[in-house]
Amino acid sequence: MPGSKAKPMKTRLSNLLTGNQSRQGLWFLPMLIAAAIAFFLSIRTTQFLAPENLFNLVAQAMPLVITAIGQMFVVVVGGLDLSVGSVISFTTAVLALGAPDYITIPAVFALAALVGMTNGFVVTRLNVHPIIATLAMQYILLGITRLMRPVSGGTVPDIVIRSVSGSIFGIPMPVLWGIIVILLAWKLLHGSRFGLHLFAIGGGIAAGTEDAARNFGVSDKRKIMLAYVACSCFAALAGVFLAGRIVSGDPNVGLLFELDAITAVAIGGTQLSGGVGSLHGTVIGALVLALLSNGMNLTNVSPFIQTAIKGSILLLVVGLQSRKKMGL
Amino acid sequence: MKHLSLTVATIGLMAVAALAAPAFAADFFSPLPGAVPAPGDNPVVETGKYKKDCPYTIGMSHFGVNANTWTIQVAHEAQAAADRESCITKFILLDANFDQKKQVADIEDLIAQKVDAIIVQPVTSTSADAAIEKAAAAGIPVVLHTGLVETDAFTTEIRAGGVYFGKVMGDWLVKTVGDNGKIWVLRGLAGHPEDTGRYNGLLESLKGTNVKIVAEDHGDWQYDKGKKVCETLYLNDPNVDGIWSSGADMTRACVDVFKQFGANIPPISGEGNNGYFGQWIKDGFQSISPEYSPAQGAAGVRLAVALLKGEAGISKHYDYNPPGLDLEKAKALYRDDLSANVWWPTDLPEEKLKELYGNK
Repeated sequence: MPGSKAKPMKTRLSNLLTGNQSRQGLWFLPMLIAAAIAFFLSIRTTQFLAPENLFNLVAQAMPLVITAIGQMFVVVVGGLDLSVGSVISFTTAVLALGAPDYITIPAVFALAALVGMTNGFVVTRLNVHPIIATLAMQYILLGITRLMRPVSGGTVPDIVIRSVSGSIFGIPMPVLWGIIVILLAWKLLHGSRFGLHLFAIGGGIAAGTEDAARNFGVSDKRKIMLAYVACSCFAALAGVFLAGRIVSGDPNVGLLFELDAITAVAIGGTQLSGGVGSLHGTVIGALVLALLSNGMNLTNVSPFIQTAIKGSILLLVVGLQSRKKMGL
Repeated sequence: MKHLSLTVATIGLMAVAALAAPAFAADFFSPLPGAVPAPGDNPVVETGKYKKDCPYTIGMSHFGVNANTWTIQVAHEAQAAADRESCITKFILLDANFDQKKQVADIEDLIAQKVDAIIVQPVTSTSADAAIEKAAAAGIPVVLHTGLVETDAFTTEIRAGGVYFGKVMGDWLVKTVGDNGKIWVLRGLAGHPEDTGRYNGLLESLKGTNVKIVAEDHGDWQYDKGKKVCETLYLNDPNVDGIWSSGADMTRACVDVFKQFGANIPPISGEGNNGYFGQWIKDGFQSISPEYSPAQGAAGVRLAVALLKGEAGISKHYDYNPPGLDLEKAKALYRDDLSANVWWPTDLPEEKLKELYGNK
């Protein structure tokens, strides 16, 4: 019966476009929008598809891709981390201290893990709302960073600079970063018990049944704390990448990065109430933001209206998703 | 006879000097009134390697267009200068929004667009270095202004503001309040190199004096934040001999606080803004305004075009360190038919000034 086949196909397409009945959220629509922006730019400008520009695009998008992926870990469990921008600035400042790289590089990840553990502890054990807990951490870290490095400068380890520039076997280093980070995140989120538990805990929180996961033996507080640790460590990774890009430590480089990261996660279809989302959606969300920035530069949009255009397109992308679905 | 010989010789020397002066003036390219080739190791740019025929596409990486009225005017000055230059067929103005990573991306995008020259207002002294080096490696001349960088890969630069700006205000304040004065310090945006530079200029002025900083806070160069800081300081202890304000809209705010409390306005440093000049002229308090013209935006465009035309006498480093503006100079510049948002001196043509800042 042709009719019986057509209906499931129509339903599947509808679900894909609306994100209904999907644990991966609404990621297909943002992908269409990203493709539409890329198509528009490829016919509107001669430079968009040039290898140099595509390489620039990947390098420009990478810090946001990494930070947004980290942010997704806490969003999936119904949280938010506003301290990631400060972690990024702090990381660049530590790396630029001029100490040997075998000390500074492990140190930034150890310190980031400590920040994540503190955030997780305050949220899960002291029951402070994630926005307040991580906002406080944002200010604390910003203050420490400005004390360490009041203005930009310092010496970033050579290995960090080399790791983000040039290429290996013809593959540009930022692309390599992207592949490694995405594989790592995929394993953690979609290929491990840890990731499965995060989605289960987030789903329970979103449905108002916080105890559901615990009933199946999942220690939700410990897992949520680990989600914050992962988020901070990914932010530190983005900080390492940025330190290599700007070849200095800077107390302000991560300012407002948390908002872009949350926006990328939301555009990618991850529900802010928890339990639903996908890694590819988050990557697409970050790419939409990077494409907008690159595209407006290439099409010579006046800086006086760039911000307004960016806001309007974000409103369009996010507006196509219902507030209830996004968990806002 | 001896007198006559001496007189003839003197007149002769003066004539030679008068004739020589324009010749000297023509020896170097001046991008902006008051900007002169820096002393010391300062090579002349070999413009031959950048010389090309019209038309030109010029790109500009602005550190943050919408931060305040001064940064907006820099963008207008650059655009107006590009509009006036017939050789420029495309002027691409990109806004880093005080975001270092965005500036790196902006410069990379300009290189990818194969522009003929890039003008950079660096967000910080180090963050744009790698991107500037990339542009230089691609054979694109880079013009810098309104900020310093650590790399030497740029083609030419105008050095201004920073330490010198802070010192002009600091020297004046020390002279005005006396050796044992107590001062407040209103700083700009924390972590911004221009704020640090200006503050270091003040510290240089204070060396060897007994002038004491009794209070210090950041007003972020904004009117509202500056007003809050000044109100707090006044309510805490109104006894102050002078105020070193890092400029922008904070000075106007602090003057308004003293007026609001009906107190005498102490000596306070300001910056060359039409609104501030109007207030200064009307209230007649003691002040100084270091010159930091937004016309540096236009000067950057002029330098870029001169490089591409292969003009001679362009120095690698220009210093733009004019003396501060006093009340008389402020009166000469002030225009009551224009809004408070114009900054002086300007290079904008009259019709553009009226279009953008006209009161009517």
